[in-house]
Amino acid sequence: MASALEQFVNTVRTSSSHGNFRELCEFISKSSEVLIKQSQHLDNVLETLDIQHHSLGILAVLCAKFNVQVASNATDNRFTQAQDFILNCNGEQIRFAPDTFAELCHSLTNYLVEQKQPLKGIVLLQKAISKLRLFDSQLTSIHADLCQLCLLAKCFKPAIELLNIDITGICQELAQNPNGPQFDSKYFLLYYYYGGMIYLAVRNLDRALYFFEVAITTPSLAVSHIMLEAFKKYILVSLLLHGKIRPIPKYASQVVTRFIKPLSQPYHDLAVAFNSNSTSLLNAVVNKHSEAYTRDHNMGLVKQVSSVLYKKNIQRLTKTFLTLSLSDVASRVGLSSPAEAESHILQMIEKQQIFATINQKDGMVVFRDEPEKYSGPEVLKGLEEQLALCMELDRQILAMDEEIQVNPQYVKKATGLQDEEQPKSTYAM
Amino acid sequence: MVVNITDKLMEDLERQELEAPNGNAPAYVYQQLLAIYLYQNDLCNAKYLWKRIPPTIKASTPELANIWAVGQSMWTRDFPAIYKALNSVTWSETVSEIMRQVQEVVRSRAVDLISQAYSSISLDTVSAMTGLPPEVCVPSCLEKGWKFDADTKMVHPVRQVVQHLGQTSSEDQLSKLTDFVSFLEN
Repeated sequence: MASALEQFVNTVRTSSSHGNFRELCEFISKSSEVLIKQSQHLDNVLETLDIQHHSLGILAVLCAKFNVQVASNATDNRFTQAQDFILNCNGEQIRFAPDTFAELCHSLTNYLVEQKQPLKGIVLLQKAISKLRLFDSQLTSIHADLCQLCLLAKCFKPAIELLNIDITGICQELAQNPNGPQFDSKYFLLYYYYGGMIYLAVRNLDRALYFFEVAITTPSLAVSHIMLEAFKKYILVSLLLHGKIRPIPKYASQVVTRFIKPLSQPYHDLAVAFNSNSTSLLNAVVNKHSEAYTRDHNMGLVKQVSSVLYKKNIQRLTKTFLTLSLSDVASRVGLSSPAEAESHILQMIEKQQIFATINQKDGMVVFRDEPEKYSGPEVLKGLEEQLALCMELDRQILAMDEEIQVNPQYVKKATGLQDEEQPKSTYAM
Repeated sequence: MVVNITDKLMEDLERQELEAPNGNAPAYVYQQLLAIYLYQNDLCNAKYLWKRIPPTIKASTPELANIWAVGQSMWTRDFPAIYKALNSVTWSETVSEIMRQVQEVVRSRAVDLISQAYSSISLDTVSAMTGLPPEVCVPSCLEKGWKFDADTKMVHPVRQVVQHLGQTSSEDQLSKLTDFVSFLEN
């Protein structure tokens, strides 16, 4: 075996047994080239290392294996090796090299995507995330990978478990960065973009809108394609949910209003047509821009928007009329038959979007007021939940504020300013 | 009781699907999982499950397509088609119990909807929405306290008052209120 590899194995063994993981990490980050060059011997190296005791060494070897092109005739054991590693590795050790561990997961994800077997990786990445993160609400870049696999596998439950936890912290993976520990913004954006898409797929529009909102309000100086796509979907979901474009929060960066808005003109046209409440106008816009919508893979959502317009129009009728015949509803909303109107109204009653009673005998609809009196225990329960959320948020903000107060950099800056000011003030006196 | 069993069964099946080697779980996993999603009226997940079932399994287990036919009708809210899809096939033992319950929940949802949405409804529509022949509908409607007008063949449902469930103990409420007040005061 080549001596460079021997040296690698020896260093891994001695450092691991002495617990010098930090130094080992530095050594490993420098040795990836050696490993890639000696790719044909890597399986031998793996055999000499123990999965529990030398997790960092194995991690480096596996990463190198994913970076090398596999000859087409060779047996590809990378998946089973990575699987074994993620399930059995030592969590404490890999947390010294979160960037390399995340890189392995990214490579694994790409590999599964290429193999068209995304379902196989879902359990693995769940495990990987639970090993890397320090607490449940910490975001790692593997989150985005898991969401991607779930989307491709059309299997959303595992991802939703994860997405339902609100993120309060970010795993600082790029520890070697000269400007201090960082997190690659690409994975942050991807997590929120994919997450929004997953919520869309299971028709949780509220959460989807929130996820797209986070994606488009991420501070930035340049246009990101992920943000642009998120913005388009934000418009569509906002129309589906609220019937209009929700104003973009003020803290969104200038890029959004200056560049992203003009780039998504077809979607603004759609919103304008939607606001006019005219189905024919909306259909004209949809036809005009259908190419753009199809190209963005948003045609399905656009179609949903146009069917929601019927519902919005029926809802508007309830504000004017107390009783209306089904055929009047059909003609006012632009539906072809009273039967169609009836089925729309039935659907809306089931979802509690309107409160009405259909009288089939006379073919009439009676619109009623909302029966909720805001005095029952249900309301109290809702109020309690909201308050609990607010209290939790308040607690988080206080904790973050405290963290900043004791941050050495902040203290230095805050007191530094005073130092500069002080001589001035004495001078003035 | 029944719900508990299906929840546990569902989690179990979901895990089996994810952990299956080569991504192909045994056919019964897909059959039962699909049926359970229908029982829970979780049509989104049912749709995506149908989409991700490997084609080889779909081909070897024609019953899967029958189960999904029910799901498709549920998606379009076509009540007569749901009952037709449910009753035109004899379900295998793997899913027969769940499919029977699917029919029950669909019917009870339809009855709830009728009582919420209609002040008068033709007997034919009731029969279509519940999947029961008219002669069975009439007595069961009367049993629920709904009026039936034999001349016009109209049923007059009575709106159900939504029941409020579960009152928390007053002590619990008090401690929560104390928390809120102390939070708001500070």
